[in-house]
Amino acid sequence: MTKKIFAIIIATLICAQFVFSASAYTQQYVIDYADKLASSEIEELDLFAEKLESAYGVTVLFCITEGTGDVTADEFASETYSDYADNENGLIIVHDDWNKAYSSFISGNADEVFSDAAVDSMIDAYDTNESYYGGIYACYELAEEYLENGYSGGYVNDSEPLNNDTDTIGEEKDGVSIIWLPVSLLIGLLVGFLIINGIASKNTSVKMQENATVYTRPGSMVITGSADNFLYNNVERREKPKQTEKN
Amino acid sequence: MSTILEQKCPCCGGAVEFNTDAQRLKCPYCDTEFDITAMPEDTSNQVEQINWNSQGAQWSAGETDGMSVYACNSCGGEIVADTTTGATTCPYCGNQVVMKGQFSGALKPDLVIPFKLDKKAAKEALKKHISTKKFVPKSFLTDNRLEEIKGVYVPHWLFTCDAVGNATYKAKKVKTWSDENYEYTETSYFDVYRSGNIGFDNIPVDGSTKMPDDLMESVEPFDLSQAVDFNTAYLAGYLADKYDVTAEESMPRANERIRQSIIDSFKETVKGYDEVENQGANMNVANGIYKYALYPVWLLNTKWNGENFTFAMNGQTGKFVGNIPTDKKAVTKASLLLGAGIGAVIYGLMWLIELL
Repeated sequence: MTKKIFAIIIATLICAQFVFSASAYTQQYVIDYADKLASSEIEELDLFAEKLESAYGVTVLFCITEGTGDVTADEFASETYSDYADNENGLIIVHDDWNKAYSSFISGNADEVFSDAAVDSMIDAYDTNESYYGGIYACYELAEEYLENGYSGGYVNDSEPLNNDTDTIGEEKDGVSIIWLPVSLLIGLLVGFLIINGIASKNTSVKMQENATVYTRPGSMVITGSADNFLYNNVERREKPKQTEKN
Repeated sequence: MSTILEQKCPCCGGAVEFNTDAQRLKCPYCDTEFDITAMPEDTSNQVEQINWNSQGAQWSAGETDGMSVYACNSCGGEIVADTTTGATTCPYCGNQVVMKGQFSGALKPDLVIPFKLDKKAAKEALKKHISTKKFVPKSFLTDNRLEEIKGVYVPHWLFTCDAVGNATYKAKKVKTWSDENYEYTETSYFDVYRSGNIGFDNIPVDGSTKMPDDLMESVEPFDLSQAVDFNTAYLAGYLADKYDVTAEESMPRANERIRQSIIDSFKETVKGYDEVENQGANMNVANGIYKYALYPVWLLNTKWNGENFTFAMNGQTGKFVGNIPTDKKAVTKASLLLGAGIGAVIYGLMWLIELL
């Protein structure tokens, strides 16, 4: 019984780890269409942006792209924000690396914190940095400063008053999406099926023995010939995602 | 003086029985049913003249093949058994009898492992075996009946040999490294060869066609160090069969197990690889000798839903085996419940982590 309970706990923890690892990195804040950032850099920047969202309830996205396709830069920014952000209140800055152009889109009450001047200063902070990663990081640092000042009331916008209403910006998080409930149940059912069938299979105890090693005379095995011949090898090479310096 | 009343079928003369379902008398031979009131009155006081006539039935040729008839020394009753039976019980007086001819001369076993565990232990082991299993149908627990329990000395051939063999394996090594720009995975393949000798002592092979081979191999191993020279006295109180599978017929099974042992044992010496897969093996057996031994096994037969279930217990070590039916509905229900529970816990933990 102890073994079964232990097995169930282990299985639960494995499942939980699986789900958490999947759920812990669900929101993407840095969208790298131009493939300029390493995955570890994106992950780090995403954590920064997630921290901002948790603290202030404002989503700050950054997108690097090589052109905006058939749509205008502003439309591209708006559509990208809709695609990636769940939060009504937020900001996206898009860097079109191919055309060396910037665009932005502000959603909901985020415009009470991020004025045009604020967005421009964030773009400047990004543009003056040598690396893509460093630029976005600087941009997020500035965003954090604006958000912090916006809440404390210390930040004075060029023209617009601050709104510290926490019912709009900085609202409580919704918690885990309901979509994870069926996923959790599905994983639970799979694990439950495996555990229960494993237990039930023990009702069958009659089977032929595979070998006779239990009847081996102790110390009787002597290896008289041994050869390990190399046949061939395969080498697979995979390019590492790397941090690219800006032109 | 006792009197006997026997209700006979008016149609065929067979003895009728009271059928509990129909609540009427029923002839089991012609299936005719009668009301109890329709049957004739008790005629036990009437004088009945009975003439016994022999039908003159004789065994036809070949009909007695595989049968032997013995006379019980205690009561003189005839014991009909098959030709492999070596020890049994007289059906009339319950006297334990041993058919000496079955174990004499060339048929005499070299060794016998005496029973160490009695019938009571076998019954308790059966209870424990069933009670410790999960998802057993409830009706099996309540309705299965222990039809028969018998201690049987099962004939086994014991093979001892020095095996000389070789085996080949396909082995794989995986190495990974990276530089500034790339990650590399190198997979190296090897052809591995091993040859050598292994000695085997007393590999048992079931020598009785009556006993399922998988059941007999499942109760292994027996401790042959406790075996003694054969003596018919050990058989008293138990059933015993002489072999009906010869040593020559049993050799292929012993060879099969030896071959697999060589593959498995040599594989243990193939080290330093990430994967090892057997590609084939050859073997020869030298200094092969075999012995004939009787191994003690308790056999327990139960019946449930018209199906027979056979369990076996090693009469020396107590190892108990036997397949038990599984309640598929209970398995499905438990899987769903456990799965839902695990799913809920996972989702709950996700919430907890999210809130923290």
